[in-house]
Amino acid sequence: MDMMVSTLQQQRAVTEQLRREAAIKRIPVSVAVTDIVRFISDHEQEDCLLVGFTSQKVNPFREKSSCTVL
Amino acid sequence: MAADTAVTSSPEETLASLVREAEALKQKLEEERQKLNDVTLSCVAERLEPITISNLKVRRILKGHQAKVLCCDWSPDKRHIVSSSQDGKLIVWDAFTSSKELTISMPSTWVMACAYAPSGNMLAAGGLDNKVTVFPLGGSGEEEPAARKRTVATHTSYMSCCLFPNTDRQMLTGSGDGTCALWDIESGQLLQSFQGHGADVTSIDLAPSEMGDTFVSGGCDRAVLVWDMRSGHAVQAFDAHQSDVNSVRFHPAGDALASGSDDASCRLFDLRADREVARYGRESVIFGANSVEWSVSGRVLFAGYGDYTACAWDALRGSRLALLPGHEHRVAAVRLAPDGTALATASWDATLRIWA
Repeated sequence: MDMMVSTLQQQRAVTEQLRREAAIKRIPVSVAVTDIVRFISDHEQEDCLLVGFTSQKVNPFREKSSCTVL
Repeated sequence: MAADTAVTSSPEETLASLVREAEALKQKLEEERQKLNDVTLSCVAERLEPITISNLKVRRILKGHQAKVLCCDWSPDKRHIVSSSQDGKLIVWDAFTSSKELTISMPSTWVMACAYAPSGNMLAAGGLDNKVTVFPLGGSGEEEPAARKRTVATHTSYMSCCLFPNTDRQMLTGSGDGTCALWDIESGQLLQSFQGHGADVTSIDLAPSEMGDTFVSGGCDRAVLVWDMRSGHAVQAFDAHQSDVNSVRFHPAGDALASGSDDASCRLFDLRADREVARYGRESVIFGANSVEWSVSGRVLFAGYGDYTACAWDALRGSRLALLPGHEHRVAAVRLAPDGTALATASWDATLRIWA
């Protein structure tokens, strides 16, 4: 009997989870990805690994060498 | 008695009716998601300029661990890094000078997770000991951090991941026992348990919003779950991966997240569209993605692989921008400096590398 109750409870949890997922509002992929693209465009200039540093001196991890390549 | 409760709570529900309803809901979910799948990300991105990141090089190599480095985290000061290892040690590094500033011995080997508190004044770590221990840093000079340690969280299996949810007062953990949990650091009290994964939780990440009440978890049940921290419920589930999910990371925009899996792919899931919107991989990439990380803008997705490399993907066009070779064993963790100026990779070759 206990086993049946526990199976019922497990299945109820699964079904309740699906009910919650089914209840959420969704938007079209086109709208979602346009927002992602916009966020990236707005922040690309701050992305050092992408656009580099304005000067290598600003890069805290620059090579600590006084030599220059001739 | 128990049967009585089941009957009173809902006289209509039987196991069969619940199973039937679950099947119907699954089908409805799939149909709804498909209906809104009107365009692909790569299609939208085709119009964008291609990008390059050719200048990314190894700038520092941090040597000092005696075995596999399993996890690392940057200090909010953008200069220090904490790493944890199979050797049972926690090391704080000055990434600018490559020097070790602090070594803490943990009670067991395989320290799988470590994290810096938002204030930078506390560390958390744990692993095979099933616990999270916090170490206050700085303060009264006499006492070592190890002497002031405090156990916060205890799981019934190994602790795979931990983070401070935007506060020094709480701790969020994921465990091999299949649960995530929120703890009060001061009292060590369990505030909320999150049950939903069918196997080990491998990774967690906090949504970048100010509210900080949503987090995501990935697990060996191949699932990615999005949680409401207040209710303790999973609000969304993504089960597109074909093998263990090793890493999850919110996109800086906040409404999407990336995952890395043993199926050798990384994926982008959008929360509002409620589905996978991009996949990153290629035929030559056959080893698992152990860790994923975003660049500041979210244009670049970094991933560390089992084939000893890390690589950078163009998140929008889906192409590979750069291969980061150099490690001599699996790359276990990939972490961006808080200001986005450098990337740290931690490897089973016992070293960390700083790329900039």
